[in-house]
Amino acid sequence: MHLRNFILFSNINSFCFALGIVEQGGGQNNVGDSLLLLVAKGDGQAMKRCIDLYGPLVWSIVCRRIKDRSDAEEACQDIFTEIWKKAGSYKPEIARETTFIGMIARRRSIDWQRKQSRLPLLTDLESAPEVSSSIPLAGTNLDRELLWNALEQLPEKTRDLFNLHFVKGMTHEEIANEKSLPLGTVKTRLRRGLIDARKLLREYSKKENTES
Amino acid sequence: MSAPNPYERFEELDAGRALGDLSHEEVLEWNELAPKHKSGTSLDFDWISMELELKNSKPCSLSSSLVARLNDTIPAFTSNNSKKESSPMMVSIIPWLGWATAACLLVFFNLPFSDSPQPSPELTVTQKLEVLREAPDTQRLDFSPASDPYAKITGEVVWNDERQEGYMSLANLPVNDPSKNQYQLWIVDPERDELPVDGGVFDISAGSETAVIPIRNALQISKPDAFVITLEQPGGVVKSKQEVVVALAKS
Repeated sequence: MHLRNFILFSNINSFCFALGIVEQGGGQNNVGDSLLLLVAKGDGQAMKRCIDLYGPLVWSIVCRRIKDRSDAEEACQDIFTEIWKKAGSYKPEIARETTFIGMIARRRSIDWQRKQSRLPLLTDLESAPEVSSSIPLAGTNLDRELLWNALEQLPEKTRDLFNLHFVKGMTHEEIANEKSLPLGTVKTRLRRGLIDARKLLREYSKKENTES
Repeated sequence: MSAPNPYERFEELDAGRALGDLSHEEVLEWNELAPKHKSGTSLDFDWISMELELKNSKPCSLSSSLVARLNDTIPAFTSNNSKKESSPMMVSIIPWLGWATAACLLVFFNLPFSDSPQPSPELTVTQKLEVLREAPDTQRLDFSPASDPYAKITGEVVWNDERQEGYMSLANLPVNDPSKNQYQLWIVDPERDELPVDGGVFDISAGSETAVIPIRNALQISKPDAFVITLEQPGGVVKSKQEVVVALAKS
Protein backbone atom coordinates (compact mmCIF):
# COMPACT_ATOMS: atom_id res chain seq x y z
CA MET A 1 0.00 0.00 0.00
CA HIS A 2 1.32 3.44 -0.82
CA LEU A 3 1.99 5.57 2.20
CA ARG A 4 0.08 8.30 0.43
CA ASN A 5 -3.09 6.29 0.74
CA PHE A 6 -2.91 5.27 4.34
CA ILE A 7 -4.30 8.40 5.87
CA LEU A 8 -7.89 8.08 6.92
CA PHE A 9 -9.31 11.00 8.72
CA SER A 10 -11.71 10.05 11.45
CA ASN A 11 -11.54 13.00 13.79
CA ILE A 12 -9.89 16.36 14.08
CA ASN A 13 -6.92 14.95 15.98
CA SER A 14 -6.08 12.41 13.34
CA PHE A 15 -6.68 15.00 10.64
CA CYS A 16 -4.30 17.37 12.35
CA PHE A 17 -1.83 14.54 12.77
CA ALA A 18 -2.10 13.64 9.13
CA LEU A 19 -1.46 17.24 8.21
CA GLY A 20 1.66 17.19 10.31
CA ILE A 21 0.10 19.57 12.75
CA VAL A 22 1.76 20.10 16.06
CA GLU A 23 -0.14 22.72 17.95
CA GLN A 24 2.07 25.65 18.60
CA GLY A 25 0.82 26.55 22.04
CA GLY A 26 -0.52 30.05 21.96
CA GLY A 27 0.30 30.34 18.31
CA GLN A 28 2.08 33.60 18.91
CA ASN A 29 5.77 34.09 18.95
CA ASN A 30 6.77 36.90 21.23
CA VAL A 31 10.04 37.49 19.43
CA GLY A 32 8.22 37.38 16.11
CA ASP A 33 5.37 39.61 17.25
CA SER A 34 7.57 42.59 17.61
CA LEU A 35 9.76 41.96 14.62
CA LEU A 36 7.60 43.34 11.81
CA LEU A 37 6.85 46.44 13.81
CA LEU A 38 10.58 47.04 14.19
CA VAL A 39 11.10 46.25 10.51
CA ALA A 40 8.50 48.88 9.65
CA LYS A 41 10.60 51.39 11.59
CA GLY A 42 13.63 50.56 9.46
CA ASP A 43 15.47 48.51 12.09
CA GLY A 44 18.16 46.67 10.15
CA GLN A 45 18.84 44.22 12.98
CA ALA A 46 15.14 43.30 13.07
CA MET A 47 15.26 42.66 9.32
CA LYS A 48 18.21 40.33 9.80
CA ARG A 49 16.37 38.50 12.56
CA CYS A 50 13.33 38.35 10.32
CA ILE A 51 15.41 36.65 7.61
CA ASP A 52 16.82 34.20 10.18
CA LEU A 53 13.43 33.47 11.71
CA TYR A 54 11.17 33.42 8.68
CA GLY A 55 13.63 32.77 5.83
CA PRO A 56 13.32 28.98 6.13
CA LEU A 57 9.53 29.24 6.09
CA VAL A 58 9.51 31.52 3.06
CA TRP A 59 12.04 29.29 1.30
CA SER A 60 9.95 26.16 1.90
CA ILE A 61 6.84 27.89 0.51
CA VAL A 62 8.77 29.15 -2.53
CA CYS A 63 10.42 25.79 -3.27
CA ARG A 64 7.06 24.04 -3.36
CA ARG A 65 6.24 25.96 -6.50
CA ILE A 66 9.44 27.18 -8.08
CA LYS A 67 11.73 24.32 -8.95
CA ASP A 68 14.54 26.22 -10.59
CA ARG A 69 16.95 27.19 -7.84
CA SER A 70 18.04 30.56 -9.20
CA ASP A 71 14.40 31.51 -9.90
CA ALA A 72 13.47 30.42 -6.38
CA GLU A 73 16.23 32.57 -4.91
CA GLU A 74 15.10 35.57 -6.93
CA ALA A 75 11.50 35.04 -5.84
CA CYS A 76 12.63 34.77 -2.23
CA GLN A 77 14.44 38.08 -2.56
CA ASP A 78 11.31 39.69 -4.06
CA ILE A 79 9.24 38.36 -1.19
CA PHE A 80 11.51 39.82 1.47
CA THR A 81 11.57 43.13 -0.37
CA GLU A 82 7.78 43.10 -0.25
CA ILE A 83 7.86 42.18 3.45
CA TRP A 84 10.09 45.20 4.15
CA LYS A 85 7.68 47.42 2.19
CA LYS A 86 4.50 46.03 3.70
CA ALA A 87 5.65 45.58 7.30
CA GLY A 88 3.96 48.87 8.20
CA SER A 89 0.54 47.44 7.38
CA TYR A 90 0.99 44.46 9.72
CA LYS A 91 -1.51 44.43 12.57
CA PRO A 92 -0.61 41.98 15.35
CA GLU A 93 -4.16 42.03 16.71
CA ILE A 94 -5.50 40.64 13.42
CA ALA A 95 -2.96 38.16 12.14
CA ARG A 96 -0.02 36.20 13.40
CA GLU A 97 3.26 37.32 11.95
CA THR A 98 3.74 33.88 10.40
CA THR A 99 0.36 34.28 8.71
CA PHE A 100 1.25 37.69 7.33
CA ILE A 101 4.60 36.56 5.96
CA GLY A 102 3.34 33.17 4.81
CA MET A 103 0.52 34.75 2.81
CA ILE A 104 2.87 37.17 1.09
CA ALA A 105 5.26 34.32 0.28
CA ARG A 106 2.53 32.05 -1.00
CA ARG A 107 0.86 34.69 -3.11
CA ARG A 108 4.10 35.92 -4.65
CA SER A 109 5.21 32.38 -5.45
CA ILE A 110 1.94 31.78 -7.27
CA ASP A 111 2.36 35.12 -9.09
CA TRP A 112 5.84 34.04 -10.11
CA GLN A 113 4.50 30.79 -11.54
CA ARG A 114 1.81 32.70 -13.36
CA LYS A 115 4.37 35.04 -14.90
CA GLN A 116 6.54 32.11 -15.95
CA SER A 117 3.52 30.54 -17.65
CA ARG A 118 2.88 33.87 -19.39
CA LEU A 119 -0.58 34.10 -17.86
CA PRO A 120 -2.18 37.54 -17.60
CA LEU A 121 -1.85 39.40 -14.32
CA LEU A 122 -4.65 39.44 -11.80
CA THR A 123 -4.83 43.18 -11.98
CA ASP A 124 -7.37 43.78 -9.27
CA LEU A 125 -5.50 41.67 -6.77
CA GLU A 126 -2.24 43.42 -7.51
CA SER A 127 -3.72 46.67 -6.28
CA ALA A 128 -5.59 45.12 -3.38
CA PRO A 129 -4.74 46.14 0.17
CA GLU A 130 -2.29 43.85 1.86
CA VAL A 131 -3.29 40.86 3.84
CA SER A 132 -3.35 41.97 7.43
CA SER A 133 -5.82 44.75 6.91
CA SER A 134 -8.40 42.59 5.21
CA ILE A 135 -8.53 39.14 6.72
CA PRO A 136 -11.78 39.07 8.60
CA LEU A 137 -11.44 35.46 9.66
CA ALA A 138 -7.74 35.01 9.89
CA GLY A 139 -5.34 35.19 12.69
CA THR A 140 -6.59 34.62 16.17
CA ASN A 141 -6.16 31.31 17.90
CA LEU A 142 -9.91 30.95 18.13
CA ASP A 143 -10.32 31.38 14.41
CA ARG A 144 -7.67 28.80 13.72
CA GLU A 145 -9.41 26.35 16.01
CA LEU A 146 -12.61 27.02 14.10
CA LEU A 147 -10.77 26.38 10.85
CA TRP A 148 -9.64 22.92 11.93
CA ASN A 149 -13.15 22.15 13.18
CA ALA A 150 -14.58 23.25 9.85
CA LEU A 151 -12.05 21.19 7.91
CA GLU A 152 -13.00 18.14 9.90
CA GLN A 153 -16.53 18.44 8.55
CA LEU A 154 -15.45 18.25 4.93
CA PRO A 155 -16.13 14.99 3.10
CA GLU A 156 -13.35 12.43 3.32
CA LYS A 157 -12.68 12.66 -0.43
CA THR A 158 -12.03 16.39 -0.13
CA ARG A 159 -9.77 15.96 2.89
CA ASP A 160 -7.86 13.31 1.01
CA LEU A 161 -7.31 15.71 -1.91
CA PHE A 162 -6.34 18.50 0.50
CA ASN A 163 -3.83 16.16 2.07
CA LEU A 164 -2.27 15.29 -1.27
CA HIS A 165 -2.17 18.87 -2.49
CA PHE A 166 -1.38 20.96 0.59
CA VAL A 167 0.44 18.43 2.74
CA LYS A 168 2.24 16.25 0.23
CA GLY A 169 2.75 19.18 -2.12
CA MET A 170 1.48 17.24 -5.15
CA THR A 171 0.43 19.13 -8.27
CA HIS A 172 -3.04 18.66 -9.76
CA GLU A 173 -1.50 16.50 -12.50
CA GLU A 174 0.23 14.28 -9.97
CA ILE A 175 -2.98 13.87 -7.99
CA ALA A 176 -4.90 13.05 -11.16
CA ASN A 177 -2.37 10.31 -11.93
CA GLU A 178 -2.29 9.03 -8.38
CA LYS A 179 -6.05 8.88 -8.05
CA SER A 180 -6.80 8.00 -11.67
CA LEU A 181 -9.09 11.00 -11.91
CA PRO A 182 -9.50 13.44 -14.81
CA LEU A 183 -7.46 16.59 -14.25
CA GLY A 184 -10.60 18.73 -14.42
CA THR A 185 -12.20 16.74 -11.61
CA VAL A 186 -9.20 17.29 -9.34
CA LYS A 187 -9.27 21.00 -10.09
CA THR A 188 -13.01 21.30 -9.45
CA ARG A 189 -12.91 19.24 -6.24
CA LEU A 190 -10.06 21.25 -4.76
CA ARG A 191 -11.80 24.53 -5.57
CA ARG A 192 -15.12 23.24 -4.25
CA GLY A 193 -13.34 22.05 -1.12
CA LEU A 194 -11.99 25.52 -0.42
CA ILE A 195 -15.41 27.07 -0.99
CA ASP A 196 -17.03 24.55 1.35
CA ALA A 197 -14.32 25.09 3.96
CA ARG A 198 -14.95 28.82 3.90
CA LYS A 199 -18.70 28.31 4.12
CA LEU A 200 -18.31 26.04 7.13
CA LEU A 201 -15.90 28.45 8.72
CA ARG A 202 -18.41 31.27 8.39
CA GLU A 203 -21.16 29.14 9.92
CA TYR A 204 -18.89 28.22 12.82
CA SER A 205 -17.89 31.85 13.29
CA LYS A 206 -21.53 32.93 13.35
CA LYS A 207 -22.37 30.26 15.90
CA GLU A 208 -19.42 31.23 18.03
CA ASN A 209 -20.43 34.89 17.96
CA THR A 210 -24.05 34.09 18.85
CA GLU A 211 -23.00 31.91 21.77
CA SER A 212 -20.63 34.48 23.13
CA MET B 1 -29.43 24.63 -18.76
CA SER B 2 -29.26 27.99 -17.01
CA ALA B 3 -26.12 30.13 -16.97
CA PRO B 4 -24.13 29.90 -13.73
CA ASN B 5 -24.76 32.52 -11.10
CA PRO B 6 -21.99 35.16 -11.62
CA TYR B 7 -21.11 35.23 -7.93
CA GLU B 8 -20.83 31.46 -7.74
CA ARG B 9 -18.67 31.49 -10.84
CA PHE B 10 -16.48 34.19 -9.30
CA GLU B 11 -16.22 32.21 -6.09
CA GLU B 12 -15.02 29.17 -8.02
CA LEU B 13 -12.47 31.22 -9.96
CA ASP B 14 -11.33 32.93 -6.80
CA ALA B 15 -10.71 29.57 -5.14
CA GLY B 16 -8.70 28.69 -8.26
CA ARG B 17 -6.76 31.91 -7.85
CA ALA B 18 -5.81 30.97 -4.30
CA LEU B 19 -4.85 27.49 -5.47
CA GLY B 20 -2.86 29.00 -8.33
CA ASP B 21 -4.55 26.87 -10.96
CA LEU B 22 -6.36 29.44 -13.16
CA SER B 23 -6.01 28.97 -16.90
CA HIS B 24 -5.41 31.90 -19.26
CA GLU B 25 -9.13 32.27 -20.00
CA GLU B 26 -10.03 31.96 -16.33
CA VAL B 27 -7.62 34.74 -15.36
CA LEU B 28 -9.34 37.03 -17.86
CA GLU B 29 -12.73 35.96 -16.53
CA TRP B 30 -11.60 36.57 -12.94
CA ASN B 31 -10.38 40.04 -13.90
CA GLU B 32 -13.77 40.78 -15.40
CA LEU B 33 -15.81 39.52 -12.45
CA ALA B 34 -13.54 40.73 -9.63
CA PRO B 35 -14.55 44.41 -9.56
CA LYS B 36 -18.17 43.41 -8.89
CA HIS B 37 -17.72 40.49 -6.57
CA LYS B 38 -14.37 40.77 -4.88
CA SER B 39 -14.33 41.66 -1.20
CA GLY B 40 -11.96 41.35 1.72
CA THR B 41 -13.24 37.83 2.29
CA SER B 42 -11.53 36.69 -0.93
CA LEU B 43 -8.41 36.43 1.14
CA ASP B 44 -10.05 33.74 3.27
CA PHE B 45 -9.17 31.28 0.51
CA ASP B 46 -5.54 32.38 0.69
CA TRP B 47 -5.60 32.12 4.45
CA ILE B 48 -7.13 28.62 4.52
CA SER B 49 -4.70 27.39 1.87
CA MET B 50 -1.77 28.96 3.64
CA GLU B 51 -2.69 27.53 7.05
CA LEU B 52 -2.99 24.07 5.51
CA GLU B 53 0.39 24.43 3.87
CA LEU B 54 2.02 26.11 6.81
CA LYS B 55 1.10 23.46 9.31
CA ASN B 56 2.91 20.91 7.24
CA SER B 57 5.83 22.99 6.12
CA LYS B 58 9.17 21.81 7.34
CA PRO B 59 11.25 24.94 7.12
CA CYS B 60 14.32 24.51 4.91
CA SER B 61 17.57 26.24 5.78
CA LEU B 62 18.64 28.97 3.41
CA SER B 63 21.97 28.70 1.65
CA SER B 64 24.59 31.14 2.86
CA SER B 65 24.67 32.84 -0.54
CA LEU B 66 20.92 33.47 -0.39
CA VAL B 67 21.16 34.84 3.16
CA ALA B 68 23.87 37.19 1.89
CA ARG B 69 21.63 38.32 -0.99
CA LEU B 70 18.72 38.92 1.37
CA ASN B 71 20.90 40.82 3.81
CA ASP B 72 22.00 42.99 0.91
CA THR B 73 18.44 44.23 0.45
CA ILE B 74 18.33 45.58 3.99
CA PRO B 75 20.33 48.82 3.71
CA ALA B 76 18.01 50.23 1.03
CA PHE B 77 15.11 50.00 3.45
CA THR B 78 16.84 51.00 6.65
CA SER B 79 18.25 54.17 5.08
CA ASN B 80 14.94 55.15 3.46
CA ASN B 81 13.07 54.67 6.68
CA SER B 82 15.59 56.40 8.84
CA LYS B 83 15.53 59.38 6.47
CA LYS B 84 11.77 59.54 6.82
CA GLU B 85 11.80 59.34 10.58
CA SER B 86 14.79 61.44 11.45
CA SER B 87 14.19 64.74 13.16
CA PRO B 88 16.60 67.55 14.10
CA MET B 89 16.33 66.48 17.73
CA MET B 90 17.62 63.03 16.81
CA VAL B 91 20.77 64.27 15.13
CA SER B 92 23.83 63.24 17.03
CA ILE B 93 27.49 63.24 16.26
CA ILE B 94 27.90 59.55 17.11
CA PRO B 95 26.33 58.11 13.92
CA TRP B 96 28.37 60.58 11.87
CA LEU B 97 31.54 59.40 13.55
CA GLY B 98 30.61 55.89 12.42
CA TRP B 99 30.09 57.04 8.84
CA ALA B 100 33.31 59.04 8.89
CA THR B 101 35.24 56.01 10.12
CA ALA B 102 33.65 53.83 7.46
CA ALA B 103 34.48 56.37 4.77
CA CYS B 104 38.10 56.50 5.93
CA LEU B 105 38.31 52.72 5.85
CA LEU B 106 36.84 52.66 2.36
CA VAL B 107 39.45 55.11 1.13
CA PHE B 108 42.20 53.27 2.97
CA PHE B 109 41.32 49.91 1.51
CA ASN B 110 40.35 51.39 -1.86
CA LEU B 111 36.97 49.68 -1.71
CA PRO B 112 34.23 50.49 -4.25
CA PHE B 113 31.67 52.87 -2.78
CA SER B 114 28.09 53.20 -3.83
CA ASP B 115 24.85 54.60 -2.43
CA SER B 116 22.96 51.48 -3.38
CA PRO B 117 23.68 48.08 -1.90
CA GLN B 118 25.91 45.95 -4.09
CA PRO B 119 24.53 42.52 -4.85
CA SER B 120 26.81 39.70 -3.75
CA PRO B 121 28.42 38.06 -6.76
CA GLU B 122 26.35 35.17 -8.06
CA LEU B 123 28.21 31.90 -7.85
CA THR B 124 28.28 29.57 -10.81
CA VAL B 125 26.72 26.14 -10.42
CA THR B 126 30.19 24.62 -10.24
CA GLN B 127 31.20 27.04 -7.50
CA LYS B 128 28.01 26.27 -5.60
CA LEU B 129 28.84 22.59 -5.83
CA GLU B 130 32.32 23.27 -4.45
CA VAL B 131 30.89 25.30 -1.57
CA LEU B 132 28.35 22.63 -0.75
CA ARG B 133 30.95 19.89 -0.97
CA GLU B 134 32.86 21.54 1.89
CA ALA B 135 29.80 22.21 4.03
CA PRO B 136 29.33 20.17 7.21
CA ASP B 137 27.02 17.15 6.92
CA THR B 138 27.17 17.12 3.14
CA GLN B 139 26.71 13.66 1.71
CA ARG B 140 28.80 12.57 -1.30
CA LEU B 141 28.02 9.48 -3.35
CA ASP B 142 29.63 8.18 -6.53
CA PHE B 143 27.52 7.36 -9.54
CA SER B 144 27.85 3.91 -11.14
CA PRO B 145 26.51 3.01 -14.58
CA ALA B 146 23.26 1.07 -14.38
CA SER B 147 23.19 -0.38 -17.90
CA ASP B 148 25.58 -1.14 -20.77
CA PRO B 149 24.94 1.87 -23.03
CA TYR B 150 26.00 4.09 -20.14
CA ALA B 151 29.00 2.04 -18.99
CA LYS B 152 31.42 4.99 -19.26
CA ILE B 153 29.51 7.30 -16.95
CA THR B 154 31.38 8.63 -13.95
CA GLY B 155 30.45 11.28 -11.45
CA GLU B 156 29.16 12.03 -8.03
CA VAL B 157 26.19 13.51 -6.27
CA VAL B 158 26.60 16.02 -3.48
CA TRP B 159 23.64 16.51 -1.18
CA ASN B 160 22.99 18.41 2.03
CA ASP B 161 19.85 17.57 4.01
CA GLU B 162 19.81 20.70 6.10
CA ARG B 163 20.14 23.03 3.14
CA GLN B 164 17.97 20.88 0.87
CA GLU B 165 20.55 21.61 -1.77
CA GLY B 166 22.43 19.26 -4.03
CA TYR B 167 24.32 18.94 -7.30
CA MET B 168 25.38 16.18 -9.64
CA SER B 169 28.68 16.21 -11.40
CA LEU B 170 28.51 13.86 -14.39
CA ALA B 171 30.98 12.89 -17.10
CA ASN B 172 30.49 10.78 -20.23
CA LEU B 173 26.72 10.98 -20.12
CA PRO B 174 25.49 10.84 -23.74
CA VAL B 175 23.98 13.97 -25.25
CA ASN B 176 20.18 13.74 -25.38
CA ASP B 177 17.68 15.26 -27.78
CA PRO B 178 15.22 17.11 -25.48
CA SER B 179 12.44 16.77 -28.05
CA LYS B 180 12.70 12.97 -27.80
CA ASN B 181 13.76 12.28 -24.24
CA GLN B 182 15.24 13.84 -21.14
CA TYR B 183 17.21 12.63 -18.16
CA GLN B 184 15.39 12.65 -14.85
CA LEU B 185 16.81 12.29 -11.36
CA TRP B 186 15.00 10.35 -8.67
CA ILE B 187 15.79 10.54 -4.98
CA VAL B 188 15.09 7.49 -2.87
CA ASP B 189 14.21 8.58 0.65
CA PRO B 190 12.72 5.63 2.53
CA GLU B 191 11.98 7.77 5.56
CA ARG B 192 9.69 9.93 3.48
CA ASP B 193 7.92 7.56 1.17
CA GLU B 194 8.36 4.31 -0.67
CA LEU B 195 8.08 6.18 -3.96
CA PRO B 196 11.18 8.03 -5.13
CA VAL B 197 10.97 11.80 -5.18
CA ASP B 198 11.40 13.67 -8.44
CA GLY B 199 14.79 15.41 -8.43
CA GLY B 200 14.30 17.29 -11.68
CA VAL B 201 14.65 16.84 -15.41
CA PHE B 202 17.87 17.77 -17.20
CA ASP B 203 19.64 17.66 -20.54
CA ILE B 204 23.19 16.99 -21.60
CA SER B 205 24.25 19.19 -24.45
CA ALA B 206 27.11 18.63 -26.87
CA GLY B 207 30.50 19.87 -25.83
CA SER B 208 30.12 19.50 -22.08
CA GLU B 209 32.71 17.07 -20.78
CA THR B 210 31.60 17.25 -17.20
CA ALA B 211 28.14 18.59 -16.55
CA VAL B 212 27.13 20.01 -13.18
CA ILE B 213 23.41 19.72 -12.65
CA PRO B 214 21.56 21.29 -9.71
CA ILE B 215 19.10 18.99 -7.98
CA ARG B 216 15.55 20.31 -8.01
CA ASN B 217 13.83 18.18 -5.45
CA ALA B 218 10.08 18.54 -5.73
CA LEU B 219 9.58 17.60 -2.08
CA GLN B 220 11.48 17.82 1.17
CA ILE B 221 14.14 15.13 1.49
CA SER B 222 15.26 13.91 4.88
CA LYS B 223 17.69 11.02 4.49
CA PRO B 224 18.32 10.04 0.89
CA ASP B 225 19.39 6.47 0.44
CA ALA B 226 20.05 6.55 -3.29
CA PHE B 227 19.97 8.79 -6.35
CA VAL B 228 18.88 7.26 -9.64
CA ILE B 229 19.02 8.77 -13.13
CA THR B 230 16.53 7.49 -15.69
CA LEU B 231 15.79 8.44 -19.28
CA GLU B 232 12.21 9.58 -19.70
CA GLN B 233 9.89 11.27 -22.14
CA PRO B 234 10.32 15.05 -22.64
CA GLY B 235 9.27 16.92 -19.51
CA GLY B 236 9.80 13.89 -17.31
CA VAL B 237 7.22 11.68 -15.66
CA VAL B 238 5.43 11.60 -12.32
CA LYS B 239 6.20 7.95 -11.73
CA SER B 240 9.05 6.26 -13.62
CA LYS B 241 8.57 2.86 -15.20
CA GLN B 242 12.37 2.62 -15.00
CA GLU B 243 12.58 1.34 -18.56
CA VAL B 244 15.94 3.05 -19.04
CA VAL B 245 17.96 3.32 -15.86
CA VAL B 246 21.11 5.29 -16.60
CA ALA B 247 23.08 5.56 -13.37
CA LEU B 248 22.80 4.94 -9.68
CA ALA B 249 24.46 6.42 -6.60
CA LYS B 250 23.80 4.50 -3.42
CA SER B 251 24.86 5.04 0.16
